[in-house]
Amino acid sequence: MADVLVVRNLDKRFGGLRAVADLSLSVEEGQTLALIGPNGAGKSTSFNLITGYFRPDSGSVLAFGRELVGLEPYDICAHGLARTFQVARPFGKMTVLENVMTGAFLRDKKVRAARERAREAIAFVGLSAKEETPARDLTTIDQRRLEMARALATEPRILLLDEVMAGLNHTEIDQAVALVGQLAKRGLTIVIVEHVMRAIMAVANRIVVLDHGQKIAEGLPQEVVANKEVIEAYLGTGAHA
Amino acid sequence: MVKKAAPVIVLALIALILPVFLRTGFEIDIAVRVLLFAFIGVAWNLMGGYAKQLSLGHAAYFGLGAYTSTILLIKFGVSPWIGLIAGGIVAMLASLPIGWLCFRLRGPYFAIATIATAQVLMLLFLKFRDFAWGAEGTTIPFLGNAPLMMQFSGKAPYYYIALGLLAIGLVVTWAIERSWMGNYLVAVGEDEDAAEAVGVNAPRIKRDIYLISAFLTALAGTFYVQYIYFIDPNTAFSFNVSVEAALVSIVGGIGTLWGPVLGTILLEPTSALLQSLLGASHGGVQLTVYALILIAVILWRPTGLLGLITDAYRRIVRADG
Repeated sequence: MADVLVVRNLDKRFGGLRAVADLSLSVEEGQTLALIGPNGAGKSTSFNLITGYFRPDSGSVLAFGRELVGLEPYDICAHGLARTFQVARPFGKMTVLENVMTGAFLRDKKVRAARERAREAIAFVGLSAKEETPARDLTTIDQRRLEMARALATEPRILLLDEVMAGLNHTEIDQAVALVGQLAKRGLTIVIVEHVMRAIMAVANRIVVLDHGQKIAEGLPQEVVANKEVIEAYLGTGAHA
Repeated sequence: MVKKAAPVIVLALIALILPVFLRTGFEIDIAVRVLLFAFIGVAWNLMGGYAKQLSLGHAAYFGLGAYTSTILLIKFGVSPWIGLIAGGIVAMLASLPIGWLCFRLRGPYFAIATIATAQVLMLLFLKFRDFAWGAEGTTIPFLGNAPLMMQFSGKAPYYYIALGLLAIGLVVTWAIERSWMGNYLVAVGEDEDAAEAVGVNAPRIKRDIYLISAFLTALAGTFYVQYIYFIDPNTAFSFNVSVEAALVSIVGGIGTLWGPVLGTILLEPTSALLQSLLGASHGGVQLTVYALILIAVILWRPTGLLGLITDAYRRIVRADG
């Protein structure tokens, strides 16, 4: 299968801090790649670089063979990359349906068509009962669902999920894992940043581990969790003895 | 559908027959001002309310509309009806560079930058002596009853022109609100970054709504000069216009179709009555009372007063079955 997302030698500094250093990775079509690492490892920064919220100091991001560096976030979304935010950012005073319609309008400006597409995405994430609820009244998991539905309504080919499971309880994590699994089954390419290892092991085809902005390991989930460097990054040296 | 349209039809009928019941020039003058400022509020609200781009510089467009039509009228003998549209176009053209500069800023910085743009235009027009009469301004030559030149002997025609402008503003807002554009504007107003993540071209939608808002505001400027027969930079680019535009929307209900109308109906007559009751005897007191009313409304109902009315209306409709 072809690589649909290729990141090459991405670099980003914030003052003296090298937030992302020479990061390269690629994702095959239809695969789910998990990006893990301790807090501050550069995961969210990488997301912001890929989706146009930050400009990299150097490096390139290719999606479907097209360079994304230099494009604005809305252009990148139009190219088929949709993202969620680490902290859900619903449009609070809009209803669930209106929120998701905002995403749907990207592909069709007609209200009726957008409404239908939005309803499909809402049904997919299981929020149909709350279509008319103002987004600000939703619980945390429902806000995450809403963000996913809004992203899905833009008809992405690559979905970037930034910690969609943080703060969820066990049952909710299971539900979220099932949802991501369904998306993968539909053939969507997924890049997921996550801390919940149980979830990562369940959904990821490959894992890339970041620490201090650098890639320290990459491979199949089973390989990565047994990797000495990874364990050190998370638990400190000597912990694996 | 019928139930939804009913209050609008009732309001429209009241507005149409109201001049019959207004006896004095003072009363009809208040009515004209209510309609005019409601219209300016509606124009402001498209950008400031729906997209939450809080401009405090809409006087720039009010003034450009006023000056464009007046210059065309006095120097070239062009009817203000044509000047009306020309002023709108000048305002749209001006909104492009102004928006290009100001939209780089967000929140309060944006508001401050827009204040500056209106002030700069006022200063420029103070200097334009040959071209726009400088600081003294000019009166509009009175031609008697000349409808084609937007001049009338009675006040009622002005009332109906202002009503027409307001109707245009409301129809434009209504159409935008129901379309993708309304959705995009609210999305940008709620969270610009999140909107861009789902494909909303925020800079473009802000530019577009600024064009529309500037155009409409300029129409109000042209009309106002024709109504008071006088123009000078302090009137045309008055900071009061910018503030009133925002204020009526905020008090009535920001980002709602009827909010600016309700806000103006409450504020404009209050201000005029306080002025006539207290202005002469205790100078300055009317402004204090006005400010206290504003503070009370904003503390008590920060989202505007429209919510109260719609809730009450729903209760009545439901009681009817």
